[in-house]
This record gives sequence, structure tokens and C-alpha cells, in this order.
Amino acid sequence: MRGGSGLLAGVLAAAWALVFLVTQVLVDPALDAAATVLAGVVVSTVVVLGYPSALRGPRAAPTTRGGTRWRPARRPRDPRGVRDGLTIAAAGQSMPLRNGLTRDAARRTAQLIKPLLGGDAVAITDTEQVLAFVGPGADHHRVGGGLQTRIARVALGKGRTVVVHARDGIGCPEPDCPLRTAVVAPLAIGDRVVGTLKVYRTQDEPAPRVLVDDMASMLSLHLELAEMDRERHLAADARLDALRAQINPHFLFNILNTIASKSRTDPEESRQLLLRLSDFFRYAVRQDGHFAEFSQEYFFVRTYLSLEQARFGDRLRVRYDIDPQVLTTRVPVLVIQPLVENAVKHGIADAVAGGTIHLRARVDPLARTTSIRVSDDGVGMTPEVLDRLLAGGRPGLPESSKHSGVGLWNISQRLDALFGDRYTFDVASTPGRGTTVDLRIPLR
Amino acid sequence: MTGSAALALAAALALVATVAVVMRPRGASTVDFYLAGQRVGVATNAFAICGDYFSAASFLGVAAAVYATGLDGAWYAVGFAAGFVPVLLFVAAPLRRFGEFSIPDFLGRRLGSETVRLVAVGVVQLVILSYLVPQTVGSGITWELLVGEGVLGLDPYATGILASTAVVTVLVAFGGMRGTTWTQAVQFLLLLGALVWLAATVVAEGFHYGEAVESISSVPLDNPAGSTDGLTPEQSALHPGEPAVFGEPGARYGGLGQFALIVTLAMGTAGLPHVMNRYFTSPTGTAARTTTVWVLCLAGIFYSLAVMLGTAARDLIPAAVADRPWLAELTVDGVLRVPEHALPVLGRIFGEDAGLGVVAAGALVAVLSTIAGLLLAAAASWGHDVYERHINPRATQRQAVLAGRVTTLVTACAAAGLGLAMRPESFAAATPSIVATMVTWAFAVAGSALTPVFVLAIWWRRTTAAGAVAGMVAGLVVAVGMFTAGALTSGGLLREVLVTPTLLAAPVAVVTAVVVSRRTTPPADVERSWQTMHGTAADRRAERIARLMLAERRAARRWRRARR
Amino acid sequence: MDDGVDTSDTPAEVDATFRTLRRVAVGYFVVFLLAVAAFPVLSLTLDWWSSSRLVGGMSPGFLVAGFGLYVFFAVLGVAAASLSSAVEHRMLGTSREPVDDDVAPGSGEDLP
Repeated sequence: MRGGSGLLAGVLAAAWALVFLVTQVLVDPALDAAATVLAGVVVSTVVVLGYPSALRGPRAAPTTRGGTRWRPARRPRDPRGVRDGLTIAAAGQSMPLRNGLTRDAARRTAQLIKPLLGGDAVAITDTEQVLAFVGPGADHHRVGGGLQTRIARVALGKGRTVVVHARDGIGCPEPDCPLRTAVVAPLAIGDRVVGTLKVYRTQDEPAPRVLVDDMASMLSLHLELAEMDRERHLAADARLDALRAQINPHFLFNILNTIASKSRTDPEESRQLLLRLSDFFRYAVRQDGHFAEFSQEYFFVRTYLSLEQARFGDRLRVRYDIDPQVLTTRVPVLVIQPLVENAVKHGIADAVAGGTIHLRARVDPLARTTSIRVSDDGVGMTPEVLDRLLAGGRPGLPESSKHSGVGLWNISQRLDALFGDRYTFDVASTPGRGTTVDLRIPLR
Repeated sequence: MTGSAALALAAALALVATVAVVMRPRGASTVDFYLAGQRVGVATNAFAICGDYFSAASFLGVAAAVYATGLDGAWYAVGFAAGFVPVLLFVAAPLRRFGEFSIPDFLGRRLGSETVRLVAVGVVQLVILSYLVPQTVGSGITWELLVGEGVLGLDPYATGILASTAVVTVLVAFGGMRGTTWTQAVQFLLLLGALVWLAATVVAEGFHYGEAVESISSVPLDNPAGSTDGLTPEQSALHPGEPAVFGEPGARYGGLGQFALIVTLAMGTAGLPHVMNRYFTSPTGTAARTTTVWVLCLAGIFYSLAVMLGTAARDLIPAAVADRPWLAELTVDGVLRVPEHALPVLGRIFGEDAGLGVVAAGALVAVLSTIAGLLLAAAASWGHDVYERHINPRATQRQAVLAGRVTTLVTACAAAGLGLAMRPESFAAATPSIVATMVTWAFAVAGSALTPVFVLAIWWRRTTAAGAVAGMVAGLVVAVGMFTAGALTSGGLLREVLVTPTLLAAPVAVVTAVVVSRRTTPPADVERSWQTMHGTAADRRAERIARLMLAERRAARRWRRARR
Repeated sequence: MDDGVDTSDTPAEVDATFRTLRRVAVGYFVVFLLAVAAFPVLSLTLDWWSSSRLVGGMSPGFLVAGFGLYVFFAVLGVAAASLSSAVEHRMLGTSREPVDDDVAPGSGEDLP
């Protein structure tokens, strides 16, 4: 289950069991029912509200002694390019074909559906070879073997279901083959036929065609979803790569100027700034997953803001308001810092008196969401500027808008790919009053 | 006193003295004397804090309170243990990171005011003195029971007080903080050892905790009443007209009284100078926090054993009176006249004279270690905060240390004098345990006057010097006023609240401090204070240096091994 | 190059940590107060609390006063201390890795 809900449910069950044990079993006389239920409710409330802090907080507590600091999460890449933590791929795990048409998935699918179809043997092929064969005749219908039967080629070529009533029709070269009848249905992604589902019987009556048809179209749907997932991930990867390469050159020039000008008046501060700058770049180029612990993204944001504060001086004020529980949650990488950068650039930089950037992060233990708000009390934006910003980074826009850092468009596209419709992302801006960006994502 | 008891006692005291001498600091810089150079390990420091904290009130007093009043006495144990929760949550890490010598030093520098420092010194001295008195009383009681006779024409009680005060004064004057850190740790282990030994013996002799509670709860709770010879049943404070029962609350306190007592004890710990001074010897703020967790766990073990032994004494002593003539003298119909005797008597019943010696050694060690911690805190605040800053700003290291030692002597003598004046018999049996009750005075003053201001100074930027002074004075006045009123009131709910004044006095102190602070300007360098107090840059540096040193040492060892 | 250097904390970072830690401390303190206050309330309102017998002979109230509260304090202390230290560790200082700074060849980095 996602985000530790299973653990929470287990802890709740254990709490109720404990309350029952202490008030009813181990004690004489037993506590009356109303008081027991009240005690159970109190304990459950405490567990639910305290869950994020008591169970989540210290879980990943770093070792303070011995010097093993926690390092940025770095997970191995999946060979197919599907990375850890992608929720869309995780849904619907029960159908093996959801991960694509592979031998392993085909074998497990065939075993799964054989009892449902009323056939004696079930085979799944792609356009070239047999991927799985379960049932009598497996000795010569080998996995990996070419398509021996003629009807498979017919089904693949025409893209429609073929029913064979006689042993000859199957066209198996092996004379002792026990298979007598067959139903062969194509598997398709959109209009493209990618394989077949074959159901054989050792009797003369073939398997029900409607049943096989329905099963084939269901499998096709799963294959199609798998394909879409993969495309999405590739697109999200590409966007993340683009993002990493997109550190704003203006920012770099500005901060280097600041450091150069301070190197004579305040060498210690310029040394600190250089350290922070190197931290900043190291983090930006090292992120190779889609998710990171919030505390690491927070580190990136505060490193960035401390650099900007050196440039803007007293004009840029910062206020962080962060729930302890948020620190260990996992959030999409390189999302918060661009929001903060936008707030600095479009809210504070043009305000004569400067302003305050406010980063607020909360966990809602009941709704199981993480909410992050970046707001400023700077100049705010007109709807046109906001529209242009929302479109920022979209391919095919004029060069001028591309250099304005990471566009909100890019961020919302990435969030789309990662969360589907399970997130909210709101931007509200009033000229003269400031901008507020609200982001709510599922807790994980 | 018999040979074996004397032997056990002498062995324990010799051990403590040896450690104090062996661990004596070589160079006598002021920092070393007061703070042991800020390099004491987490476990050692936790043991030392326990040694400072577990006084006669904890060792004899808690068991005595449970013995006399059952469940209500256990509130002392709960309150003493609970005290470290607020310390952990609000005080430990920031206090260490700010890094000063003492509580007055902390407040003075944080708020940038000498007035605050001097007022704090006054309050700290009051807390120390009111904490010292019950300790000397405890040592007098122990001596009375153990030796039974005085020297130089003094009675046994006075001899006990004078002897213990003299021993500790010498230890502190020559040991300093590093010396006492180690002696405190050893003393605590000795104390815990005595308690564990006694508990193990009692259980091995067939004591069953649950059954004992059940059987002594089946009859009303009787105690000897003042002048008369017989026993009178205690009246329940929760259910008027009914007799009190050992295993149920109500023998002493009503519902509000329980809560007021716990709050008083819990808030007081954060303002105890001898405990807080120990935090400055932790290497980092995080270590100070870890230390407190250790202390919490150790306190839990210690106090649950003490409560159990108090129950055991109530359960086992009546049956033991018959064939022990010495016990008959101490009891009325099977109940002890002085509840503080519960643990020593248990020790003598189960371990003969050697057992009495072990328990007595534990009690004396508890007294000695706490007195040592208190005297050192007194020396630090007089010597450092008053002498070095106001009387002789150009004092050499030698003079400062000397000033500390002299004040140690003076404070010790004052406490001994007060202890002599306040004999336990002079207090009617209005309190569960005279020693435990007297300690609550110190907790009440500390929790009403020091803790609120302390917590505000750490967690509220707008705190000002004037606000802190007003808060301390208000808390002190309300606490002492309520206390005096409580001593004049006879019984009832009103008295319960009046003798545990923190529940009311601490909020008064907070409100006063906040109101006055709002009307004055806070110190200018509050941001810098915040960065040292709540930032971890210094901690990280210390940790990195420690890591480097470890790596260096490991490399050196490898190199040496390779050469061999 | 990173050995022996560490960044100092900016006021905004310290303020953020301070306020987060204050939430932690106040939250745990409220839990502590509720637990301690619950005892007198229970012994006043619920007869079962002090008059029934658990296996072994103690009443629930005595068990809590004799053992339960100390265990509770210790657990509370461990939880609060580890959470506070984890918060400080995550909200201050760098998340830099202490050891090798080398990047595996071919990982696509093209910094000079």
C-alpha cells in the first residue's frame, strides 16, 4: 500500500487489540463497553495524528555519530528506463502484461487466464515467436520457437479472430500433437497488431469464441496502457534532463559578480558564498531520480536563497515555515526551487522596497497529502505576465521567454506525468500584492 | 554500629574519595574547575546528572512517601522523573549551545544585563540553600539510625549533619567539576547498585509485588499519629468520610493536589542550578539532548524500584517485628515511626548489618553527591558571576578559584546550620515524607522563578532584561507568599495548592515577564544569540573535528602497527 | 576540497529550524501534560481505574503510577530527542557527501 497506509492500519489494529486486552481480558472486573470504546477512540486519534511524527519522523533519523551522513537517494535505473517511484506503472500490478509484452509476463498471464477460458492449452505469441505455452503439447510448442501454425499468421495478418475446428487446421507438424481445435485472437495496441492469444482444446468442440475475444481485448488494453506509461516516462525523463541543463545563466553571472565584489571587503562571506554556490551546482546536476526527500529539496532552496540574499541584501527577506513531518516525505525533484526562483524574479527583484518570500510546507495526516506554498509580497503579476510564465519553457516559444528560468509549464507537465490527476497546482497573483503558488501532492 | 556495617560504609566512602583524588584536575584553570573543560562523554555525564539529581529525597524520601501514603507517595517519584521531560524539550540543547558557566551567566549574557545576572544569582542561591537543607536533614537521619551516637558531646543527628557537610566541602574544594563529574558518576552507580541489590534480595525472599499491593490495599491505611501511641487510619481526601487505602489515590492529595505536585516537581527540574550546570559540560547540543534521554531512562528504573521498595516495606515490616527487638523500638504496631527508615530497615531485615551498611552507604552517597553538586553550583555563581564580574574584575585564575572555594564553605555552613535548626521531629506528620516535602520547596522556587524566565529567554525573541527581572521577582514572591500562607493554613484543598505553588506562580511569572517585555526593548544582538542557541554550526564543527581526530588516531595506530 | 570547510547558518535558516523545533517541543509537551493530567481525572471519574485488578493483583492506576508513566516518559523522550535531532540535521548544514567527490565516468556530467 502507498505511503505507509498499510503500516498505519496495522498499528491501529494493534492499538485496538491492546486496548481490548488491557480493559477486557487481563483485568477483573472488565471495563464497561462505553468507556472501552472511548479509550479505543482516544488511542486511535492519537495514533492517526501522531503517525507522521512518531512513525515517520525518526524512521530515517540519520546517524549523528560516526560520520555517515545521509546521501541523496540514488536508486538503480530499471533496465527498461522505467524509474523507481512512478505511480502510474505501479497501479494495476495484478495483470502482468501491464509491464509490456515480455516472456515472463506472457507466461504468468497465460497461467493466470487458462482456467478462465475453458481451454486445455493457452499460448501467447508476439509477431515473431511463441512467448508462452501452458498445457498439453508444451513439449513441442516451445517457448522461443517460431510461429509453426498457419492460422497464427492469418490472425496476425488480418487482425481478426480465427476459429479452427479440425486438427488439420491447426497445422502442427508434430503427428502426435494432442491439440484438436483452436481459437486464435490478435492482441493489438491501437491499430497495430503486436501478438496473438491462442486457446487450444483436445476435444472437437473449440473454446467459446466470445470469451477469447473479450480476453484478448482486455489484454490489448493492458498492453496499450503499458505503452502509454513508458512513453510518459520517457517524456518526463527528457523534461528532467532539460531542467538540469537549464540553470539560469543570469543567476550565475549575478552571483559571481556579488562574490567578486565581496571578495575584498568580506573575504569570509565570499568564501561562504562560494561554498554555497558549489553546493547549489552539485545538487542541481546530481539529481537522477524523480523524487527526493523534502529535506534535500529544502537544502537546495535555502542554498539558492542564501545566494540571492547575498545579492539583494536586506531587500530579500525569507521566512520558512516547515512542519517537522514534511522533512522525510518524498517530493518531486527540482520543483520547489523553480517556484522560489520565479517568486524572487517576478515578485521581489522589481519591488523597490524588496519583499518577503514565504515557503510553507505541511503534511495533512488525514488527507495524506503534502502541501507546499511559495508566496511573496512583491509586485505581483498581471494576467498576461502570468500566462506567459505558465507557458514558459513550452517548446516552440520565442527565445526571449526561454531564458526566464524553468517555466511553470514544465513543472505542471512533470507533475502530470508523475501524479496523473492526483495533485493540485494553483497560481494566484494580484498586481501590487504578490503571488502565491499552492502545490498539493500525495504523501509518500 | 557493628563491624560489617561499618566496613561496608567505609568501603563505599573510600571508593568515592579515591576517585575524587585520582581524577583531580591537574591544571586549575577556572574553566576546568567549573566545567571539566566541556569534554565529558554522554554516558558519564548522564550518570553524573543522576548523581547530582538523585538526592536523599529520591533515595530515602520516595520510598518513605510510598510507605506512608501508598499511591499518593508515588507522585513524588513521577514528578521527579517527569522533570526531565521539559528539560529535554525546551532547555537541554539550546542551553548547551549558548555555552556559559551557569544559569545566571546564561541569562545575563542572553539578555545583555548585569541586573538580570545578579537577580538570578540571588534566586539560584535561594534554590541551592533550600535544596541543601533537606539533604543535611537526610544525612542526620541516616547517621542517627546507623551510628546511633554522637561525638564531641553532640547528639547523633547533629553529628551526621556536621560530618557529611565537612566531607563534601573538602571534596568540592579540592576536586572541582571534573573531579566531581567522575565522583558523581561513581556515586550514582553505587546508589543504583544499592537499590538494585535491595530489590533483588526482597524479590528473592519471596516478595510478590502485585499480591503485596492487593493485600495491603484490603485494609485501611494506618499511620502513627503524632503524640499518641496507637495508630490512626488515614482519611481519604478524594472520598470524604472513607478511610484511605494504600493502592488507591487519596491518602494525601485530592485530584488537584496530585496535579499541582507533579507540575511543581516537573517544572522545577529545569531551574535546578546544579543539574543545569552539568549541561554545559556536554560536548554538543545534540549530546546534551542524548544525555537527557539517558537520564530519563535511568530515572525511570530508579524510581520504579524505589516505589516497589516502599510497597515492600509496608508489606513486610509488620511480620518482621515479632522476632526482631531492635525493630520493635522503631515501630508502633508494626508501622515505622519515621517513614524515612523504611529502606535502611528493609536492608537490615534482609541483609543483617551488612545490608544496613549498604543502604546507609547509598543514602550517604546520595546526600554527598547532591550536596557536592549544589555547592559547586553555588561556588560557580558566586565565584564567577559575582566575584569575577563585580567584586574583582581583574582577578587571576587563582583568586577566582579561591573565591569559589570560600563561598563553598560559607554555603555549606549555612545549610548545616539550617539543618540543625529544622529537626524532623519538629514537623508534625502532616507530610508524607519530611525530606521529600522539603525538597519540593526548592523545586517550587526554581520552577516558579527560574524556569519560566529561562524558557522564555530561549524561545521568545522579545524577552527583555526588565521582563526577566520582573518575571523572576514575581514568580519568587508569589511562590514564597503562597508557601507561607500554606504553612499557616490547616489542611484542605486550599493548602494542597498553596504548598505546591508552581501551578499558579509560574503562569504569574510568565505573564509578568511577557507584559514587561512588551513595554521595553529587547537586546540588540538577539539574532546573534539565536544563531548560537538554535543553530548547529558550532556543533557541526565540533563533530567534524572529533571525526578528524578519530581518523588521525586510527591512522597513527595503523602506522604503529605496520612498523612493528 | 570540501574537507575542513563547512558553511555557517544564515539567520533565515536558523529561524526556520527554531520554529520547527518549537512546534515539536510544544507538541510533545502538550502530549506530556495530557498524559499526566489524565491520571487524576481518571481516578476521580472512573472507579474501574483504581478498584479493579489486573492479573498480578495491581489496579491499572497503580500499575501506571508504578511503571507505566516512567516507560511513557522514556518513550516520549526518545521520540522527541530523535525527532529534534533529525530536524536539526536536515534543516541546517549541508547535505554534502563526506567522502569521494568523483563522478562515475560516463554519467553525463560535463562540468569543467
